[in-house]
Amino acid sequence: MTSSFVSATGVDEALSALAGGARPVAGGTDLVVGARQGKTPLPESLVAIHGLDELRGASASDRSLRLGALVTHAEIAAHPVVCERLTALADASSIVGSHATRAQGTLGGNLMNASPAMEVGGPLIVFGADVTLRSGAGERQVAVADLATGPGTTVAEPAELLTEVEIPLPPEGTGSAYVRLEYRRQMEIAVVGATAAVTIAGGRVAWAGVAITALAPTIKLVPDAEEALIGSDGGAAAVGEAARATAAAAEPISDVRASADYRRAMAEVVARRVVSAAVARARGETVAVPASSTLFAGGAS
Amino acid sequence: MSVAESEPPTFLRPDGKEKVTGAGRYTADLNLTGQLHAKLRYADHTHARIISIDAGRARAMPGVLAVVTHEDVPDVLYGDLAQDRRLFAKDRVRFEGDVIAAVAALTREIATEAAAAIEVEYEPLPAVSDIEAALADDAPLIHEDWESYEADEALGRDGNVLGYSTIVKGDADTAVDTADVVVKGRYVTEASQGAPIEPRALLAQWEGDRVTVWSSTQVPYAARAGVAHVLQIPQSHVRIVVPLLGGGFGSKCDFHYEGHVAALARAAGRPVKLVFSREEEFIAPDHRREGMVIELETGARKDGTLVARRGRLVLDGGAYCGEGGFFAQMAAMHACGPYVIENVNVGSTLVYTNNQPSGSIRAPTAPQVCWAVEQHMDELAEALELDPVELRRRTLIAEGDEGPTRQVFGPIAVRETLERAVEMIAPDGDLPEDEAIGVASGWWPSFGNQSGAYVKLNADGSGTIVTGAQENGSGAVMALPVLVADVLGMKPSDFSILYQDTDAAPFDAGSSGSQTTMNNGRAVVAAAGEVRDRLLDLAAEKLEVAREDLELADGQVRVVGSPSKAVDIAELAGSGEQLLGKGSGPVPESPPCDAEGCLGRLGMESFLEPQVFTHAARVKVDRETGVVRVLQVAAAHDSGVIVNRLGATGQVYGGVVMGIGQALLEVSQLDAEGRQRNPHLLDYKLVTASDAPRIDVAWIETPAQNGGPKGTKGVGEPPTVPTPGAIANAIARAIGERIRELPMTPERVWAAGQRG
Repeated sequence: MTSSFVSATGVDEALSALAGGARPVAGGTDLVVGARQGKTPLPESLVAIHGLDELRGASASDRSLRLGALVTHAEIAAHPVVCERLTALADASSIVGSHATRAQGTLGGNLMNASPAMEVGGPLIVFGADVTLRSGAGERQVAVADLATGPGTTVAEPAELLTEVEIPLPPEGTGSAYVRLEYRRQMEIAVVGATAAVTIAGGRVAWAGVAITALAPTIKLVPDAEEALIGSDGGAAAVGEAARATAAAAEPISDVRASADYRRAMAEVVARRVVSAAVARARGETVAVPASSTLFAGGAS
Repeated sequence: MSVAESEPPTFLRPDGKEKVTGAGRYTADLNLTGQLHAKLRYADHTHARIISIDAGRARAMPGVLAVVTHEDVPDVLYGDLAQDRRLFAKDRVRFEGDVIAAVAALTREIATEAAAAIEVEYEPLPAVSDIEAALADDAPLIHEDWESYEADEALGRDGNVLGYSTIVKGDADTAVDTADVVVKGRYVTEASQGAPIEPRALLAQWEGDRVTVWSSTQVPYAARAGVAHVLQIPQSHVRIVVPLLGGGFGSKCDFHYEGHVAALARAAGRPVKLVFSREEEFIAPDHRREGMVIELETGARKDGTLVARRGRLVLDGGAYCGEGGFFAQMAAMHACGPYVIENVNVGSTLVYTNNQPSGSIRAPTAPQVCWAVEQHMDELAEALELDPVELRRRTLIAEGDEGPTRQVFGPIAVRETLERAVEMIAPDGDLPEDEAIGVASGWWPSFGNQSGAYVKLNADGSGTIVTGAQENGSGAVMALPVLVADVLGMKPSDFSILYQDTDAAPFDAGSSGSQTTMNNGRAVVAAAGEVRDRLLDLAAEKLEVAREDLELADGQVRVVGSPSKAVDIAELAGSGEQLLGKGSGPVPESPPCDAEGCLGRLGMESFLEPQVFTHAARVKVDRETGVVRVLQVAAAHDSGVIVNRLGATGQVYGGVVMGIGQALLEVSQLDAEGRQRNPHLLDYKLVTASDAPRIDVAWIETPAQNGGPKGTKGVGEPPTVPTPGAIANAIARAIGERIRELPMTPERVWAAGQRG
């Protein structure tokens, strides 16, 4: 039960509270829901950071997009640079939880919750995004790919606050997508998910990134799938090979959502669909956001 | 012609605005001065002998004002058809939600800590979660003392068998050999949940030796009787008030926690409030729709004539009877369905297990059995090389036909519902190869019950309806002013409704069995009739005309044929005369049948004014993943005359969506000992508004002969019954494989596709 609650008025105040043992809360969509469900009790000491406007910004340059930790999923999904250049992130942000979750939940909180089923992790890893972790002692950059160490754990020290995410913009000719297997359209969590990005130059795949979600203790890249794509024409054969490589890289578990066997089989299906969508987008074809809704039986008819 | 048309098209329910704007107050919103917060201590095993309970440490904690166990209340058993449980576990726990103790403390946190500090020593016993295992000869007894319980003799109890019923007509065993085609099928359903969005909440306050309990219950009078019984006090000392109810779907039927909170408030000497967490709500007794094993065998002649149906059903009753004692017989009737079958032999067993007790979740037993029977009918059609719609057309009951207990039916429009549903869903051209359409038909009885109401006119000519009926959100109580206004020539909006207070209104069976319009509708019409009589007397005197020449219309009593000769009802109401009416109306009797050969007769062998229906579903199956999307449901219902079309159609929308959840996603997964693994809304997958398909609704209004006012029946439960069966038949048609497990999850559909 929480006995100390501070609403920080500046980042430094938040950092000193963290140094004193407090845990941060922004949207509360994981922290509060988890406590109500009896998973993890609320921390003894909380510092609310939702009022820190300096963590709320989104700014794009020629090279990258910087998103403050407090940017919400709904804001990310609506950002024009995300929609045009980082479409996989738009796919992911627009299907997190429910309307309420997307309006309330923040990017920083989502990343630090370190769920292997989180939607935005795959796209950020594939795009090579970094986070800034700040503490009273200074700050450091960590690749999103290196942030989570397992379900619910990260490399961040207790006194560090995730303040910003910087996402490099991929070159022209890149298409990307995030797709999850979903049982229902809202309030859903990925049973299996995958991200793909491909850059097509002169009709060949010049670069590719593939990551899997909810198929291992952390979201991870699949180098074998990327190799299968690079140098290919992005056609069915290469996509199929990448999909098989993705399934081979999966370390699925059995739980209340699905069996390991089903997850492994779905890894291939989801990978095939997500890579196909990324290739299509790279070629300038339209695949509506979010890709999940159109690539599964969810498709409106 | 329906009454609602007299005020088209916007009959607005009186509780609508406060609910939609958030201004409405639900039980959890109420607070009393000095109130304490309660926490229940649940069983730590699903089956164990209790060796000792030590609440000493909990009682000594600062901020704890009372701890109550079985020692603090009278040692009485309760239950509906079988009295098999105590308020607080005494010597045994039988499922994860059994209550050992209740704590009242200054805060919820202290109460939670204290509840955890109660020390209970157990001797664990082998838990029985599987229903077939519970029937084994050497199965551990869930209730060692079952023979000593008071129970309805007709249940046919025997060890872990809580109830056994048969439906027998003719000689099915011999007749099946004369059939041209025989099909057999085994279908298994897992448990699902009622899952209202409002978890239950209670607040109890004693004044002297009388207690008031505000409770989110669907059945306030059963709750009153329950509190009086377990505390051994007169019913007149117990008042149950229900603030706005945030949904029930049957999961808040029967008496449960009002007794615990009343006992706690008495012990603490202060008001006590209990608000359930989502997890507590999920494990509560009666919150569950039971799992079943359904084995069916049907023989037919080449023309489709159903020669014989044999069936064996096993139903998971869970740890206690609750109000689900009649389920075996109800399931057996649904295993026959609204079909003409020459010979029937269906046996249905309700068994005790160490699982959560099953309750009357919206049309209890019917969706699962209908899902099995309607797949079975499609399989039979395939074996007969008949179109599934054609087979139903030839075999569904029509007026004058005989049912499975030789009940002869009057006007019954189930075939018309079939034709309408099929017509509404007919596609413009060929369907894409991943889409298909399936149909399912079914029935659900009306229930005749005692019910009462008062109607009074106020001095300004407005009126108040005082009713014992309970509004569960369906709008049935909210539509009562339509009936009263019609009798009195007034507008529905002229009336306020006082409801959900057992001290104020006469008895009603509560919000269960789709019975509010049928039974309380008769009561308010009778009560309004008394007011009408008095108005006619007063007007006849005032206008100096014969009573017989008067009519009530447009807020006046006027002379038929010369409407200018009239007196305003408001004037009569303001004249100082008391305008009070009371009513209950005669309870319709069940129609005759011949159930001589049937065992376990609990009243379901005869279906009073059955509501009949057909749903047709169009689905799209993603074969690679097994994900099924329902694109359209066409729902045709005959629920008699419809009073409030907007409200009735809303019930179909909700029932269809609930049916889709039951069909595809909703399941309580259990561990080997009967504990739920997903008692929360992230992994217990309710269907969301975003998943809802296009829903087309048709009402076929055959006036009930022996039903509610104006030929009404019920509406609330039937819409959830045929949806899973229709979806199942559509999936089978799309992928060429049958899914014989419910729910038909993506993984199961995918696995079936792999077989094909």
